[in-house]
Amino acid sequence: MLYFGKQIIEISFALWHLPESLPRGLRGTTFSKMSASITGLLKPWTPRVFLVRWSRYNPYYLEPEPRKEVYHIPETELTPEQKEERELKSVRPIKAATNSVTSSVFNDPVLSKFVNMMMKDGDKIIAKGIITQTLENMKRKQVEKYHKAPEGKKAEIECNPYAIFHQALENCKPVIGLASIQKGGKFYQVPIPLTDNRRRFLAMKWMITECRDNKHRRTLMYEKLSQELLAAFSKEGNVVKRKHELHKMAESNRAYAHYRWW
Amino acid sequence: MEWHQTPGNHALCMRYHSTPAITTSLSSPIKVPPSSCGQEAVGMELETRPETLSIFRTQENDPACQSEQHLGQYYTVPPSHFHTVFPHGLPPRYQQQVKTFNEGCVMVRQPALELISHLKRADYSKPTMRYLLYGVKGSGKTMSLCHTVHYCSTQGWLVLHIPDAHLWVKNCKELLPSSYHASRFDQPIQASNWLRNFRTTNEHFLSKIKLRQRYVWTKRESTEEGRPLGELVDMGVSRVKSSSDVVGAVLKELRLQAGGTEGGFRLAVAVDGVNGLWGRTTLKKEDKSPVAPEELTLVHNLRKMINNDWCGGAVIATLSQTGSLYAPSSAYLPQELLGEEGFDSMDPFVPVPVSLYSEKEFESCYLYYLDRHWLQHPHSRTEEGKKELIFLSNRNPSVLERLCAFL
Repeated sequence: MLYFGKQIIEISFALWHLPESLPRGLRGTTFSKMSASITGLLKPWTPRVFLVRWSRYNPYYLEPEPRKEVYHIPETELTPEQKEERELKSVRPIKAATNSVTSSVFNDPVLSKFVNMMMKDGDKIIAKGIITQTLENMKRKQVEKYHKAPEGKKAEIECNPYAIFHQALENCKPVIGLASIQKGGKFYQVPIPLTDNRRRFLAMKWMITECRDNKHRRTLMYEKLSQELLAAFSKEGNVVKRKHELHKMAESNRAYAHYRWW
Repeated sequence: MEWHQTPGNHALCMRYHSTPAITTSLSSPIKVPPSSCGQEAVGMELETRPETLSIFRTQENDPACQSEQHLGQYYTVPPSHFHTVFPHGLPPRYQQQVKTFNEGCVMVRQPALELISHLKRADYSKPTMRYLLYGVKGSGKTMSLCHTVHYCSTQGWLVLHIPDAHLWVKNCKELLPSSYHASRFDQPIQASNWLRNFRTTNEHFLSKIKLRQRYVWTKRESTEEGRPLGELVDMGVSRVKSSSDVVGAVLKELRLQAGGTEGGFRLAVAVDGVNGLWGRTTLKKEDKSPVAPEELTLVHNLRKMINNDWCGGAVIATLSQTGSLYAPSSAYLPQELLGEEGFDSMDPFVPVPVSLYSEKEFESCYLYYLDRHWLQHPHSRTEEGKKELIFLSNRNPSVLERLCAFL
């Protein structure tokens, strides 16, 4: 059974409406003291108002488990820790899962991140629609090429749009970045190492801005995005060029590398 | 397994080069005993091979010879026929699929087989039978109609295929007042487009059918009796202003001559979205009052065609909610979509329900997509992924197609 986020129940700012069972003195306490004191009062209780989809949950709440495999393990094969965890879950309340969490086998965290970055004004339906159209478009082009290619060339054509997307993103990720560091009243562009998250973010950001800015007025987003992704897959195109330019700048500024102190 | 298209022979012939490791790569473990598909092997250069590979394809490309044993299997429409038979009838997503896969494969399904068997056994000296395909959105009504149209054209019938009657009652930029009848309106662009496609479909009939009446278009233009139909159609395509009246004339001539004993041909009228002919339009006259469908020449003439007062052919129609105007999206039954007026005009008709994919048909579709390298996501080839596809699409053909498009 697929597990999607719970339905919205009335959100009220009820963190301050504590159950009457708490002694008077604790109601006025700050959040950190409250959490320590609430965990001390562990007994199964249902709050009067349900808190859903906040990021600031009471630490009493447990994380949801969307993966199906966990629930398919039969009783006999559970380790003692898993058994304990299951018992705990039967008493404690669980946080509501967000909409992006699914138990679907087709779930891809990198793609979800890309969809979120493409989203404007919280309209994920449109962003997800654009991405699915892009994947379909890429697959169509590649499969058409595959069916028309002679036998020897068929194995070289990559038809999987997900593989193309991941490879294209890899090809766009910069290895080294630049930071603006002030030394002696002037600002220098200093080459610095980048974390994985930052590299992925930069690759996605460049891809999206490139597709938004440098396209003809009448080209649709999915069309331009599929062209760019296919170009990045074969290491051509503007995004890969931008990555190379960043690398060249970093190379040319190697002299300032010692300005970095971390 | 390699699929070759040998030059000069349009049917695909299978020549196996690789080992039985292929059967393991297909996730479905269905094995068909060799005896049931034996007839397909006749005439093909097949070595003894497990028939697991042909479970979703059949070599029987002629709709007349297809029967219940081919249910759920895909047959290929020969590429030579494709552009003549279907210049305008296919759903747009299917046309894209044909372009991508480089072949046009249609699944043999129960509604189409039923229709074809009715057409084979009907008495053509009696008034025309009307057949109506109905079903939920995306269940395959248009594709069944196209399958039947393919059958009719292989049997040498004259096919009048109106791809979507809704296109004639909405989004019309030019609405000319008709010269023939004062209160009617002409749609020159739609009519000339349709005539062009009609000409492509029925080339060989155009020179054989002679007109039985003289038609006067303007003071100086007229078409005499005895001229071939082709001339009339060419005139309609070139003179866009009178194309709607030409369509009316063509329909009238065909109606009169269809059941004729000398040089008689059979006429198949295939209308998609027939519920658009009754109901409301979104077109407006110059004083902003709405145009009723009767006031459009094309619709008026088509309604006369759908009446069963002529003989020597059949009317095959499809209901469609997708392009319809002012109809709720959950409506799919004939009563709901045709309305009172439409139902009374269509009555009596043979209803043919089109259902969602059965398990066998779903398997077949899934294997076809796997074969054409359309399902690319690694998880879509597992059992888990297949179960998820069944759950998400509810075996609805169009929803499944859209899901598999990005997987």
